[in-house]
Formats: sequence, structure tokens, C-alpha cells
Amino acid sequence: MNRINVISKKLYKIGLVVSLAIFLLFIFYDIHNLESNSKRYLSDHYISEGVQETGAINIVTSVLYDYRAFDTLGEATVLLTAAAILSFLVPITKDKMRGTPFTIIVSQTTQVFIPFLAILGMYLIFFGHLAPGGGFVGGVVIALIPILLTITYRVEFSEYKFKPDKKKVSEDIGAIGFVLIGLLGILTGSNFLANGQANVSLGDAGELISAGLIPYLNIMIGIKVGAGLAIIFNSLIKEK
Amino acid sequence: MQISYIAVIILFCLGIYTIISNKNIIKMVMGFTILESSLILLLILISYTPGGTAPILDRQYEIVVDPIPQALALTTIVIGGSVTAVMLAVTIKLYKRYRTLNVDKLRKLRG
Amino acid sequence: MEAAVWVIILPLLTAFFIGISKVYVKKIFVPLVISSAIIYLYLLILVINNSYPPNVYSVGAWRLIGINLMVDPFSGLFLLIIALLFLPVIIFSVKYIKSYKHEYFIFTYIMTAGIAGMVLTADLFNLYVFLEVSSLSSCALVALKKTNKGLEGAYKYLVMSTLGSFFILLATILTYYLTGTLNIAEISLEFNEIPFKIKSALMAFFVFGYVLKIGLIPLHFWLPDTYEDSPIPYNVLSSGLVMKSAVYALIKVLYIIFGIDFLDKSGLLQIGVFWGVITFIVAHLLAFQQSNLSRLLAYSSIAQIAYIMIGLFVGTEGGLIGGNFHILNHAIMKGTLFLVTAIFYYSLSAVNIEDIKGLAYKFPILSFTFVVASLAIVGLPPFNGFISKWLIVEAALESGFVYAAFFILVGTFLSLTYYLKVIITLYTKNDKEIVVEEPGLSLSLPTIFLGSLCIVFGVVPSLPLRLINKIPTFLLDNGEYIRVLLGG
Repeated sequence: MNRINVISKKLYKIGLVVSLAIFLLFIFYDIHNLESNSKRYLSDHYISEGVQETGAINIVTSVLYDYRAFDTLGEATVLLTAAAILSFLVPITKDKMRGTPFTIIVSQTTQVFIPFLAILGMYLIFFGHLAPGGGFVGGVVIALIPILLTITYRVEFSEYKFKPDKKKVSEDIGAIGFVLIGLLGILTGSNFLANGQANVSLGDAGELISAGLIPYLNIMIGIKVGAGLAIIFNSLIKEK
Repeated sequence: MQISYIAVIILFCLGIYTIISNKNIIKMVMGFTILESSLILLLILISYTPGGTAPILDRQYEIVVDPIPQALALTTIVIGGSVTAVMLAVTIKLYKRYRTLNVDKLRKLRG
Repeated sequence: MEAAVWVIILPLLTAFFIGISKVYVKKIFVPLVISSAIIYLYLLILVINNSYPPNVYSVGAWRLIGINLMVDPFSGLFLLIIALLFLPVIIFSVKYIKSYKHEYFIFTYIMTAGIAGMVLTADLFNLYVFLEVSSLSSCALVALKKTNKGLEGAYKYLVMSTLGSFFILLATILTYYLTGTLNIAEISLEFNEIPFKIKSALMAFFVFGYVLKIGLIPLHFWLPDTYEDSPIPYNVLSSGLVMKSAVYALIKVLYIIFGIDFLDKSGLLQIGVFWGVITFIVAHLLAFQQSNLSRLLAYSSIAQIAYIMIGLFVGTEGGLIGGNFHILNHAIMKGTLFLVTAIFYYSLSAVNIEDIKGLAYKFPILSFTFVVASLAIVGLPPFNGFISKWLIVEAALESGFVYAAFFILVGTFLSLTYYLKVIITLYTKNDKEIVVEEPGLSLSLPTIFLGSLCIVFGVVPSLPLRLINKIPTFLLDNGEYIRVLLGG
């Protein structure tokens, strides 16, 4: 009896999912037949006017840090919340990490890699408005440094080099900096997170110092994401 | 209708099925990751225009793909990653308390 | 209208500064929290005062190509709930919360920012982002005590709310694909040309996603678990704001984007009322069986949300006024009940109904507050719950939902039975000697403040109704809302 019960339960779930799939198939088919591709005036505006309005030639960056910068503040908050949850839910336990000791090749290569990672991360952050990259990607690359240290030389060393408290504070500073740069817009008589609208000089598109406040927002997000991801990784790996 | 949209549907339903049918917490978290990636794939697909280049306007261009879904995709990735991290943290905690990953065995709360 | 954006950034900034003060300057913690809450109250009053006629704040001054915040009476009502609940809860928690104090306040402030963002934003994707902010931080608060039950509740909460968010996100992405914009007003205009079938499919995704977060029967099972072992002051905000903000988002999406005509044509209004009836009957029956006080209140919350859904889905002006008034009243009444429960827990760690036997003779004033709030939530005159329930019944009768009106009366009797059970236990003499820790003034004052509001709003309902009466114009006729948002 029990087996029949299990099988029927499984069939029920499969049926549920298959009917959802058929439903989605019909919806997607209908939507696709509507020829709605012509309705792109918002993105057309971004593409045609974005470079003049924001000064950044990477339009994704200008959408993320200028047109829809408020979304970015929200997602930065989500990341900060996640890091805070992890650091209190799975806190420091003085316990040795399991894992094989690496040979000298690994530890030496890690040392060689770290400066390159730092340069690459910096490049991605500072050139976020000119080339693919930006604060998030650059922050992830920066976060790789403590993560590599954790993997090769254990958690204790990584925590000794980058103190957990310092990481938390720099994450908070990144978030506060983002809001403060946004408040500059209000100070100059425009709205929150305003950039070109607040008469910030946008510079020549394509230069390193251009696009108004976008590079500084990028730096803040870079700091925040780097510190946040390092906290998240170390918290997860520390538990035995 | 392009075949890639069917991939989105398959991934989405696979994710849902993984979540509702699996008893293992880690596999449920994997289901959420699959679900998230299906939505990111959908975002990338709707931004695509045939022959379009990446929305970085430093040289001559004719067709550019839609930049908004790419920005939304970045937001979705960050939020999804944060949620996954929190879920894994709760999973670690639950495993430490109950020494099991089976959902049925840790149901202390009923009713 | 700078204050509108400050309503979102002030709690965020406070949360970040608490994070720094935790590491370096521990002393400024309490002054920081209290002063920020007081400034926040001032800002909220400023924004609520300006909510009629509605005005738009454009983030980054981009107008229609960026993200807009819009203050209308409907969001003004939610800001009013934040204003009434937030400062009492903060004052209460400063003394009540003993462990993980900094984390508690960080998450509470971030959660409030998320809810304020959800309430104010006029952008579909931004709504999703702030939804995620509020649900992730509220999940953290569920797990705050790190007990087995709390962790399990947090896990269930995470799973259900994330599943809901993915459905909402799917619907949002498809909406963007169909309309090419994310501004609610522009979407609404574009939606006039979309075929009926696609619109109803999108609506199904939105409704399913939000209902998962609201917790109607049969998708409710995770909700009581999150209440059982979480810090009780958080439960005040959770039942008063987090659940309600999902209701808010659902109503806003349905009424503004899809429009009342489409809701009527697709039959969602009938389904919504029927769903609400089923939900409160089942929830009342389940609440009757509970022995844990928090779980009882949680089931009661589900039932009250069902009343609100009936009021909002009747689709008439009276229904919307009644439903919105009940949103406000439920937040106040449930807040009072949870705060009294929290004091009982603080003084003698009472969790179950038997534990509070005879406490009325130890805490006469607090017990009286509890009785007032529970009679109000049952719906007896002259308290505020009676008026809003009466408005809902009247609206249901007017638009032909006779069965809903009848069952609301039945539900009132059901809820009277279990609340009477608690009150009688409270007033039964207990021979056992009880040793209690005296709750200070900072715990009892916020409780009595919220309890007195039950009577004030019951005697002078015109006070909040002045704001609420303006809500239906913007929901029933989405043209008005669209005109304001587009800046015409």
C-alpha cells in the first residue's frame, strides 16, 4: 500500500509540473506571436541618448548606476543583509578546516596570482563605465583574494590578514558611501542619485574621468561587494 | 518560436520539480539555483536582437541589444546569490542540530 | 517632496551606522536607534500629510525613463501604519531584546526600509527588489534566536517566499517583454492592447506569487511556524507590515496595472472573495486547536488577512474603504496582543495558554489592554474592529456576496470562542505562587499606547477615515493614478 501511495504522490507532482510546462509553452507561444519587439522605445532612448545623458559608453553601467541606480541600492542592501545574516548565523568557530595540505607549487602560485587579481579587480572597477565590468564584477574579483588565501592557507591566516571586523566596517562604509554620493544630488538642488541632471560635469565620454558620479558609485559598490562576498565565503566555510 | 525559449521552460519546470519532490535540503537549494538561472536565461533571451552587439558604444554600431534586461539580470544574479547563501547557512545550522538533511525528519513544527 | 525618498534612505543609513557602531563605538547605539526612530516618525508624518493630492518623486530626476516614487493615499495608509507601529516597537525592543541586539536592529531597520520602498515605488522591478529586501531581512529576524523551531521556521519561510518571488519575477520579466517598460502607469496603458488570454496568464503568476507570501489557505502552512519562536516584537511588525505589504503589492498590481474592469471580467473578484471565506473559516478552526499563544495569534492573523482580502476584492468603494480600514485596525490590534504576549514572555517566559493562568491579578492594566484588543479583533462594538468589519459586511451585502456576509458573522462567533478561552484563562485564579520580573515603563507604555488606539479609532473612526476615504478614487479608476504618474 505504502509503495502505491509513494508512486501516486510522485505522479501527482510530475503531473503538476508537466501541466505548468504546457501552460508556460502556450503562454510563451502566444507572447512570441505578438511581435512585441517593436515596443522598445525605452531601450532605444537609452541607446541613442544614454552616452550624452550619462557620459558612460557602457550602457549597462549607465542603466545600473544612473537610470536605475535605486535598484542597485536595493540589491546592495540585499547583499549586505545576506552577509549580516551569515556572520551571525554561522559565526566564528575555532576549528581547523579539513582539507589536504597543498604542495609548495600551489602556495607559491597563489602568491604570484594575488597582485594580478588586485590589478584586474581595480581595472574592472575603475573602467566600469568604459568597458565590460563594473563594481559588482570587480568586487567579485577583489573578493577572490581572501577566498584564495582561505583555500590555500586556511581560514585563520585569511582572517588574520583581513580582520572580520574590518571587512564588516568596509562593507558598511561602501553602502553608506553609495547613499552619500546619492545625497550629493539633493545638495545641489536636484533629486536623490541625480548625476548629469544635477549639473555634475560629465566630461568627455570615453575618458577615464568622465560620466560624473558613476565611477565613484562603482568604487563604493566594489568595496561593498568585495567585503560582503569575502564575509559570506568565510562564514560558510568555517563551519565544520 | 525559438527553441531557446523551450530551454527556459524546461529549466523552470525542472527547478520547480526539484523543489517540490526532493527531500534533501541541499537538492532543494539546487532547485532554486536552477529556477534562478532559467529566469536569467529568459532575461538574456528577451534582450537579444539578431545581429546586435554588446551595448558598449565606443565604435560604430548599427544594432545594439537591449541593455535593460542585462542590468536586470545582474540584479537578479546578486539577489539570487544572496538568497542561496542564506539558505545554505540555514541548512548548515539545521544539519548541525538534527544531523540529517531529510526534510521529513526535521519537522518538529506541525499544525 | 524630498521627504519621500528620505523615508527609504533614513532606515537604511541607520542600519549601516549600527553596523559600524557595533565594531567601534558601542555607546552611541541606543541614542542612535531612538533618535533615528523619532526623526523617522517626523518624516513619515510629513509624507502622509502630503499624500493628497498624490505627488511623484523621481529618483535621479529622470522622470519617466527612470524610477519614480509615488505617494498616494493608499501608500499613505501604509506609511501611517509604519508611523504608528515603528516607534513603539523600537522603544519596546531596546529593553526586550537581550541577545543579538545589534543584528535585531539592523534587520528591523532594513526591513522597514524595504517595506517603505515597496509601498512608495511605482516601478515593477523596483517593487521586486524591495520585496526581496524586506523578506530576506524578515527571514533573518525569524532565525534570530537560533532555536530549532526558529531555524526551521526561517527555512520554510525562505523556501516559500523565494518560490513566490520567482513567480513574481517571471511575471515581471514577461511584462517587460510585452510592454517594453517597467513604469506601472505605462504598463497599464500598454496593457489595453494585450490579448485577454496573456493578461490572465500574467495575472495568475502575480496572484500565485503574492498569495504564497500572504499565506492564504492552502498555502499558509509556513506562516504560523515563523511566528512560534521568533522575537515577539518582530511579530508585531510581521503581522502588521510584512504580510500587509504583500497584500498592498498585490492590490496595487491588480487594480492599477490590470484595472477593475479586467478583474471583473476575468472573475478574479469572485474567486478572491470565495478564497477569503474559505481561508478565514479554516484558519479560525485551526486557531481553536492551538495551545501556543503565538501560534493562536498567527492563525488569527491569517483569518484577519482573509477578511481584508474579502473587503478589497468585493470591488466597490465601500469594500475598499472597509478593507483598508481593517488593514490599519488589524495592525494595531494584533500589535497590542503581541506586545502583551511579549511582556508575559519577558516576565515569566509564558508561551502556552495555561502559563498565563491568573496573570490578570498580577498585571491588571496590561490584562485589560489584552481584553480590549481581543474584543476588538473579534469585532465587538465599540472598538475599531467592529467598524471595519461592519463596513466589509455592508459592502459584501451591497454587491451581492450574501454568503460572504453570512460567513463573516459565523467567523466572528468562532473567533469569539477561542479569544474567550484565552481571556477566561487569564482571569482564572491561580493558587500557585508566581514570581514575575516587573516589566518597566518602557515595555508597558508602548503596549498601552497601541491598546488605547483600539478605543480611540473605535470611538472616533473619522480620524483615519479622512485618509482612507480618498483611497478608492485612485484604485477603482486607474486612469487618475496613471495621469498623476505620467505627470499630465
